[in-house]
Amino acid sequence: MRSLYVRSIGNKLIWGMLAALVIFVSVGLTAQTEETRMELQTRNWEGRSIENGAKIFADNCSTCHGRQGQGLPGIAPALNSHYFFARRLEDVGQAGTISLATYVHLTVAAGRPSKANSQWVNRMVPWSAEFGGPLRGDQVEDVVAYVMNWRETALQQTADEDPFQPFLDVPKPPELQNIGVDPDVEFEPVQLSATSVLPKGDRAPDYLFEAMGCAGCHNLEEIEAPNNRGESGPHMGRVHAIAEYREGVTDAAAYLKESIVTPDNRRVEGYDDAMPNDFADRMTEEEIDRLVAWLLDENRDYSPDD
Amino acid sequence: MAVQERTSSKGWFAGLLQGLNGVFAYLTAGISAGDFRSMLRGDPPGRPNTRLRPHADAFLLHIKPSYYHESVTRFTHTYRLGLLSTYLFLFETITGIILMIWYAPSPERAYKDMIVLLSNVPFGQIMRDLHRIGAELMVAVVTLHMVRTYLTGSYKPPREFTWLTGVILLVLTLFLSFSGYLLPWDQLAFWAVTIGTSMAEAVPPLFVGETVNLLARGAPDIGANGLLRFYLLHVLFLPLLLILFFFVHYYKVVLYGISLPAQEEEVGEDTANRVPANRRVYYLPEVLVDEGSFLLVFTAIVTAVTVFLFQAPLEHIANPQQTPFHTVAPWYFYWLQGLLKIADKMWAGVIIPGVLLVLLMAIPYLDRNPSRRGADRRVATISGVIAGIVMIILSWMGTPSYAVQGAPPLEIVQELMPEEGSGISREIGYDHLPNGVYDSREEYEIHDEEFNELLHEFRAALAAWDERVDDFNEPWGVLTISQDQAQLKRLNWEINWINDAGEPDFFTQDFWLHQNSYYWEQYGVKKYGVPQFLNGTAPGR
Repeated sequence: MRSLYVRSIGNKLIWGMLAALVIFVSVGLTAQTEETRMELQTRNWEGRSIENGAKIFADNCSTCHGRQGQGLPGIAPALNSHYFFARRLEDVGQAGTISLATYVHLTVAAGRPSKANSQWVNRMVPWSAEFGGPLRGDQVEDVVAYVMNWRETALQQTADEDPFQPFLDVPKPPELQNIGVDPDVEFEPVQLSATSVLPKGDRAPDYLFEAMGCAGCHNLEEIEAPNNRGESGPHMGRVHAIAEYREGVTDAAAYLKESIVTPDNRRVEGYDDAMPNDFADRMTEEEIDRLVAWLLDENRDYSPDD
Repeated sequence: MAVQERTSSKGWFAGLLQGLNGVFAYLTAGISAGDFRSMLRGDPPGRPNTRLRPHADAFLLHIKPSYYHESVTRFTHTYRLGLLSTYLFLFETITGIILMIWYAPSPERAYKDMIVLLSNVPFGQIMRDLHRIGAELMVAVVTLHMVRTYLTGSYKPPREFTWLTGVILLVLTLFLSFSGYLLPWDQLAFWAVTIGTSMAEAVPPLFVGETVNLLARGAPDIGANGLLRFYLLHVLFLPLLLILFFFVHYYKVVLYGISLPAQEEEVGEDTANRVPANRRVYYLPEVLVDEGSFLLVFTAIVTAVTVFLFQAPLEHIANPQQTPFHTVAPWYFYWLQGLLKIADKMWAGVIIPGVLLVLLMAIPYLDRNPSRRGADRRVATISGVIAGIVMIILSWMGTPSYAVQGAPPLEIVQELMPEEGSGISREIGYDHLPNGVYDSREEYEIHDEEFNELLHEFRAALAAWDERVDDFNEPWGVLTISQDQAQLKRLNWEINWINDAGEPDFFTQDFWLHQNSYYWEQYGVKKYGVPQFLNGTAPGR
């Protein structure tokens, strides 16, 4: 028999037993770490959901709600806000009924029809494909995960830091009394320290155009005309030729600068006073000059982040 | 009464032993305890061979031959590849049925079910990894089985039909593996299968191709119907078909016996079924132990590799609106993808593979050379080797490294931080990405080796693409890392260059990275597969 077989049965049995031992040890080690692994995987997929949501937010939501969720006065409320995480649910009468995550989910999915007594110019449209929007169910979940991820930092904000803008549909939250809720009373939007990740002073114009929220109301491609007016702010296409089509404008640069610093001075007929008037504080003079020059550049090349 | 009498005459202890022996023989379908002990000692079988009884009595053993020719039991003759293929099918069936418990074939559920399986099912991930690695191995092993059969000329008469069913089994294996590809419903799956099914569209005439495609996808594009169809193909139709052809194949193997090594017999002779008594190796126990230990060792290697090294990929959820940057077929279809790059869809997708398949099945009928000896079949061996080399070259051409090139800035970002998978940015991880603005033209004093490596790679990639592409000159890049949210960083890649016309151009792309995102591909080994006391560090962080 030995001549026919190189290895004995005994050797093979030993090999088999060794292999069984390896299997046993491998599976045993797996069993040991399953708890840790499942926890890591749970956190991992939550993290990835937030990553996906960040991209969806940047692509779809940031023009109105701001890149940092700081909101845009008159356009869309702040989400990265102490008020939003601490009080909003209570104010809409849903505390204890649904969670804030559900409230956000419902809002993103089905939109918020504009109320009669609302200061928000733009309607929140339905975003879920279920209600005719562009996002799939999983994308809505991801963007909700991203919005809810502001909780930690938002709850640390003091009332001064909170970029909260008053909702007219709810009574004034007491801890935010320093912020007016009467639409007639001028209120100071608070600059969120996180509005821009770049320090003041040397920021590029196209960056500023987004970071300051200009893109929320002003379209850079469309051309303002009586039959083609922006919904909440004049279009900025061909703005270098503004002296030709707007009466009373002789120096385009001076006019634009004035409109940025003191928007209400020469506000265009038909638009309300939604434009913040604190840009002089939020940008340096040079930055404003560069922004104006950039806006007036005939060959300006602007592509929103994608 | 009879038992009692015997007990009393032989004593109670001997009676008990005899009873136990009966139970043992019952369980082993006819092997007595004495026979078993002599097997373990390695004694030769007695005459008559009482160890053959299980082959008559036991269902699973009656389809195995009771003895083999000594020469075919040598490992280097068959490499046990046929056995291994069968075993892997069983292995896939078992792991697959377990996975089915947590899986629903609908686009709304499939991907979420994957995540639940990974994050909330004990042993869920290892089951998925085992199933995946088993599937890839099965394709490889079945192919190698065919190569072995070809090289030893074992397809020659009378085994032509065995070869033909073998080729059908290979095709079924490929389809089985491919149909399982779609089920996780991630980008990898969706686009690989979209490409695969679109090849069916090339079947002439047009309406036939379109109908085939429509039948496979269940709609013009893959969606809920397509997923359900691929699921049913994967778990029901193809396995049943494979079982059918397996039994045909195996019956033929047993009927004609495993072909002997060519030098064991005269040219043109087939003596596989006439085994001289002195060259018989009985299945019980020699071959059984051999096969059993071999499969155990194989399983041990696969398990250990899976536990410590292998990770079945799961990319982003399938998005029909967004084609990933480099879409690839599964590796065993790289050659097809390579063909598609040099020929049109009709030729590369239908005619060439169809002709190849028919040729493959017809090999035994085309090759009239009666000899199976290597020296007599140089032409066959050389053409086989050439075919193999051509396949490897075509496969290489199927990878993105051949003839597919995106815009340089896109390629650079893809290299450092790809849409899918990890890339060096995710490999070094959240903690090694300090917030700040990093310009490729400047030097920074950063005391983080891993981040310096990333900046170095960034500069190197810019320089490499500057060399390679004419339209991409004097490039420089800015990487801006900012804290977007708590535990969430935004990486903005901006690349500026001068194009052919001498004008400046730029490209920018954002990616986000969460602290808890565990891009385990980054480690090469799965850290959480190892307990902390062996690992020394906390897993993940």
